[in-house]
Amino acid sequence: MKPVKIAMMGMTHGHTRKYYQTLLDNQKLDWVASCAQDAEAKKTYELYKTGVPCYLDPEEMYRKHPDIEAIVIASANDRHFEQVKWCAEKGIHILSMKIPTFDMKEYDEMIALCDKAGVVCQIELEMHYNSVVRRLKKLIADGAIGKIKSFQATNITLSPVWAFPWQGDPKSSFGSVVPLKAGDPRFRGGALCDHPHIFDLIRHLTGSSFDYIYAEVAPNLRDGLKVEDMLMAVGKMKDGTAFLFDPSWSRLEEKLKVPGPGWERFPKRMEVNVTITGDKGMISCDCFGPNVYHNGAPNDRYTVQYTYFDEWIGLIDEFVACIREHKTPLINLKWHKETIQAMLGCYESIQSGKIAKVGGK
Amino acid sequence: MNIKKMNKSLDFLREKYGAAKGEITIKDGHCYVGATPLLPGRMERKIVELKKMTENGTLEGVSTLRFASFAPKGADIEGMLAKELDLAAYLGASDVVRVMAVANGLAINVLAKLANDVNVSVEIGAGLPKGAEPYDRHEIIAKRGVACDQTVDTHTKHESIRCWGADGMEEFTDVDTELFGLSYDEIWNVRAAFALLQKRADAKVWKAAWAKATKAAKLAFAADKSKAAKTIAVKKGLDTNQSIKVAEVR
Repeated sequence: MKPVKIAMMGMTHGHTRKYYQTLLDNQKLDWVASCAQDAEAKKTYELYKTGVPCYLDPEEMYRKHPDIEAIVIASANDRHFEQVKWCAEKGIHILSMKIPTFDMKEYDEMIALCDKAGVVCQIELEMHYNSVVRRLKKLIADGAIGKIKSFQATNITLSPVWAFPWQGDPKSSFGSVVPLKAGDPRFRGGALCDHPHIFDLIRHLTGSSFDYIYAEVAPNLRDGLKVEDMLMAVGKMKDGTAFLFDPSWSRLEEKLKVPGPGWERFPKRMEVNVTITGDKGMISCDCFGPNVYHNGAPNDRYTVQYTYFDEWIGLIDEFVACIREHKTPLINLKWHKETIQAMLGCYESIQSGKIAKVGGK
Repeated sequence: MNIKKMNKSLDFLREKYGAAKGEITIKDGHCYVGATPLLPGRMERKIVELKKMTENGTLEGVSTLRFASFAPKGADIEGMLAKELDLAAYLGASDVVRVMAVANGLAINVLAKLANDVNVSVEIGAGLPKGAEPYDRHEIIAKRGVACDQTVDTHTKHESIRCWGADGMEEFTDVDTELFGLSYDEIWNVRAAFALLQKRADAKVWKAAWAKATKAAKLAFAADKSKAAKTIAVKKGLDTNQSIKVAEVR
């Protein structure tokens, strides 16, 4: 199979650095170029010494590398539409970050653009390529706990806003400046926008769709943040499954400009834990474990250190296979739309104080 | 271990990433590629992380290693001890130079010394019921920082999934998506064989390291019999405790 000529664009997303190892290792890829949003993003990129040239102008990158076949769009959420459009017009396949856009009009236009151009647009929801989630899916499919009755999931992390300031900016993160609710000084665009995984996972595991959702924001943990950092949601799937989600930034962090050791103040910087009650049993699951533990440098704090995130390998393997074998990715724009609608439902519920029917139905 | 399945997985990795040809064989319960013994313990991600911590300044001034390994009845405790002594040399970055031990049937407690003066304790037991999952623990105590591959304040192993179904409770820990379906031991033996075939691990180093570890384990049993510590001469030359290059995602 001819290696796919791939590039990265934006370089301001929190997941940017997670692609480097896989793009370099995977023999089905030829990573030819990167294009940073600005000089600062380029400077950060260069710290990782990938050996891949980095540009500041996408047109220049494309002029010098006209054979680029695919691009990982690793940028702020409000840049995705223009970048998807840019790629689709050039017939370039797209690996999009987890939030293509919260603007449903833009979202539908993205679908139309990709369909018209015949390009693959895969959404980066890397949890699907995690070995624990794979086991979880197998257990549920094998009927280990029977029919799912209740689903509780956390997708809680530290806040990346100090390293990736756009994630604390309502316009860059949510796409527009929308107050959370009357009398609340905060805006949409915080922790919720960072954590779509559990909204997606429940759809896969139940095989059902969202019915309604109710969400509440709590007081923020971080002073001065313009967006929400603590919230929770409850709701129901159309098959009756009751769910409870915590997608907060509930783990405090040091204000590092480049993620690295000592970032976390709470011992574990990220947690996706799921408990599922079925009519024949129950599952408790920690998607990121086992780990190693230390209280060494830089802050001598007790720290849970992850072992290895191999999700990115499977994610990229699927992307390459979809390009070369003309397949549709598991997480494609059309599938992902309902996940985004459910997240929007949370914001609507926070604003109204009532349940929100997902998709406005 | 299912060698056929392991070799199929090894072929998959070799074809995907590129590596020399080779296959895993098993002799006396230990895996080899050709004449080179595999050191799967060095490939386990938790050991990789601990090794990095000793090298990247997370831990400073290593003083003591406290290791333990427990397996079901019938397990080869000398082989288990050899693995742990190899990991002690690897994580302590220095060869074992002295061992004292007290054995009692299916268990042996070992106090060892590395050439750099680091103390090592190893607790080995083959008393778990047949079919039980093995359990081990590696703790590194340094002047600055303590690191461990088990959680603080618990003596139960972390499992990714606990499933309470019709047949009681089952636990699952999956650590490698590309090798999904292989057992924990099978995964790290395949990864070790792959590292060797990719030349990330050096066959000469592994042969020498395993020879040292098996010798030290044998001497531990001799020390128990003689009730006296056994000394091992350090050979100058090949550094058998250097780290192996592995993939990183942070």
